[in-house]
Amino acid sequence: MKRKLAIIFLLVIISLQIFNSFAIQRFPKPEFESGHTQPPTITPDPRAHALAILDVFVLVAALSVVSWLVIKKRSRKGVFWMSVFAVLYFGFFREGCVCSVGSLQNITLALFNPEYSIPITVIAFFILPLVYTLFFGRTFCAGVCPLGALQDIFALHPMPIKSWLEKVLGIIPFIYLGLAILYAATSTDFVICRYDPFIGFFRLDASFMMFMIGAMLLLIGVFIARPYCRFLCPYGALLNLVSRFSKKHITITPTECIQCRLCEDSCPFGAIEKPVLLKDKEARPIAVRRFLILGIIIPVLVIVGGFVGSQFHENLAIVNPKVRLANELLNNTNYGETEKEAFEITAFNSAGQSKEELFKEAGSIIKQFYYGGWILGGFIGLVFGLTLVSLSVFKYREDYTPNKGTCLSCVRCVDYCPVLPISNDY
Amino acid sequence: MKQKLIIGFSLVLLLLVVFLMWKDFYRSKSKVQNNPFEYNIDNLKNIDPDLITYKEVSQLKPDIEDLIAIAIDKKDHIYLTGKNKVIIYKDNSLVSSFNIDSTAYSINISSNEDVYLGILDHIVIYDKNGKQKTKWKAINENSVITSIASTEESVFVADAGNKIVYQYDLNGKIINEIGKKDTLKGIPGFIIPSPYFDLLIGIHGKLWVVNPGRHAFENYDFEGNLISTWERTSMQLEGFSGCCNPSNIAMLSDGSFVTSEKGLERIKVHSPSGDFKSVVAGPDIFEEGTKGLDLAVDTKDRIYVLDPIKKAVRIFEKK
Repeated sequence: MKRKLAIIFLLVIISLQIFNSFAIQRFPKPEFESGHTQPPTITPDPRAHALAILDVFVLVAALSVVSWLVIKKRSRKGVFWMSVFAVLYFGFFREGCVCSVGSLQNITLALFNPEYSIPITVIAFFILPLVYTLFFGRTFCAGVCPLGALQDIFALHPMPIKSWLEKVLGIIPFIYLGLAILYAATSTDFVICRYDPFIGFFRLDASFMMFMIGAMLLLIGVFIARPYCRFLCPYGALLNLVSRFSKKHITITPTECIQCRLCEDSCPFGAIEKPVLLKDKEARPIAVRRFLILGIIIPVLVIVGGFVGSQFHENLAIVNPKVRLANELLNNTNYGETEKEAFEITAFNSAGQSKEELFKEAGSIIKQFYYGGWILGGFIGLVFGLTLVSLSVFKYREDYTPNKGTCLSCVRCVDYCPVLPISNDY
Repeated sequence: MKQKLIIGFSLVLLLLVVFLMWKDFYRSKSKVQNNPFEYNIDNLKNIDPDLITYKEVSQLKPDIEDLIAIAIDKKDHIYLTGKNKVIIYKDNSLVSSFNIDSTAYSINISSNEDVYLGILDHIVIYDKNGKQKTKWKAINENSVITSIASTEESVFVADAGNKIVYQYDLNGKIINEIGKKDTLKGIPGFIIPSPYFDLLIGIHGKLWVVNPGRHAFENYDFEGNLISTWERTSMQLEGFSGCCNPSNIAMLSDGSFVTSEKGLERIKVHSPSGDFKSVVAGPDIFEEGTKGLDLAVDTKDRIYVLDPIKKAVRIFEKK
């Protein structure tokens, strides 16, 4: 009921966005009569400086409140309403940009391209959730990220999926993360923003592809909770890694687990790890042999991955506009256009740059992709290897505990625990 | 079983999302379209002949170096000005001319037949025989006077540089500023990106000012209160387009507006409430790039279009 009310409330807010059309423009919007289709919005207008600072304050406040609700109050209701706030403020009001998820590309670009000047707000949006995660777990995912919050509201009938499948699909965000970093580092594209599934809803302006992906993910999210967060989000992959080292993380039981098993299936994200008894522990010689095999397999996977990645460097590089232009000019393919000169080529010819200069520049970019391909492939190999380790290595635990990496700190499981916190009132 | 089916379907959908993203990024060809940066308005230059309800009946070819502005008095004398000269015609015949000290960018004839000339930042008044009567104080260094209109008590001066209309008394004292942005009074403020900023006193004795950046007409009383406004933005005939249009206006005896545009050179008639009525002249009869098609209307509702490129005044009558 609560969730349905929230959905209705969100739909009303979306419809209110229509009133933006009555805003006064300084100049009337031009009409294009030449057949030009307006490109979909990727980034909104720059935000006023004061509002940008306000955003950082709101982010800090929201992270603090959610962390307090998760760690101290253990309040699912509180986290839920913070999610609604996140959708309204960070989603609709801020139009979802810049978000922490996309900010990792800005950070990467700033690191690799000294000409790119990165605003302090973007750095804050990248760093702050990581810092909070390091202390309190993924409280950012719980109730501050508008992308996660929107999906959380739509998680109406979550169903569990097999643990091995969860782990295998969990590799995708790391691949996505690697690709996003590679393309940002080479100044090619911000792929995370290009395929941000929910930004179109927040702005009521996006390409058909973005709307379709968003709608599909929300539909999936009804049954497989938060599919983007779990199986796509590259920033979530980073938070996953950082959260493993979190100082304070939510626990299912406030004191001692009584093994009642009530919480066993409470997590819609499959992030609760069941107790593993000592009797299940494998024999030491088998464990040592497994350790040695994995010790060989992981470096091999890294090297093989790096080699494979490097072999695909040209395929990876072809989406770079300069490489693509050089390729079209070299092969005289004119972007597949037969009737007239493609406007990219017209623009190049008008710019006065020589073909040799372009080819040299494209060659340099392809070389970057060669090294990037090695690193990307190696990284993916490492992720595969570590996933293999997590699937095969025995971990002893007595209690039902949240997986610190994959737990989104949503606090759902807490309500299932019958153990009451120790009160000082006695 | 049902649960497995739903999960299976959802997972397939999830993989489809990943596939679509991959395909869109790596495999989709860029949509070939016309050069989006090309400024092509050729199609808009074609006008349905049925909509053109005026015909050009004659032309005046005045002997003046730069032809810039036109005005017509109540007796249908046609006053033309430009560089260092004012020429007066009546019934297509030259009546007289007189020299002035510099270039006049705007002209207005008062009810007592005084000639008001806008000389960049100040007004100079001549009698109809060419004798200078007075010269008003310059407004300021930003001033570019582009249009003048007068009543029995006041003179209204459109200043494109200061983006304001100044109301003078007949002694040359500024008594009011009209059109300054005032959200409480609902005045949006003038947007004037180029030196084309026209005004006139309408048939009902009210001031009409073009707000070219907004493609709007604003109607003020003489206290500077905004009475009404209309705007039409369109590349089609129904409205105005570009950074700032219409560039010049005049009014017919029924209160309809005659408008001229730059960029897409055309002369049109709009009803008093702004609806498009008809075309006087399309872009085909003007040189491409013609700007400053100043307008005037005589007592017989003939429309006079000053064509600065062809250095002619082109006279149009209803078909």
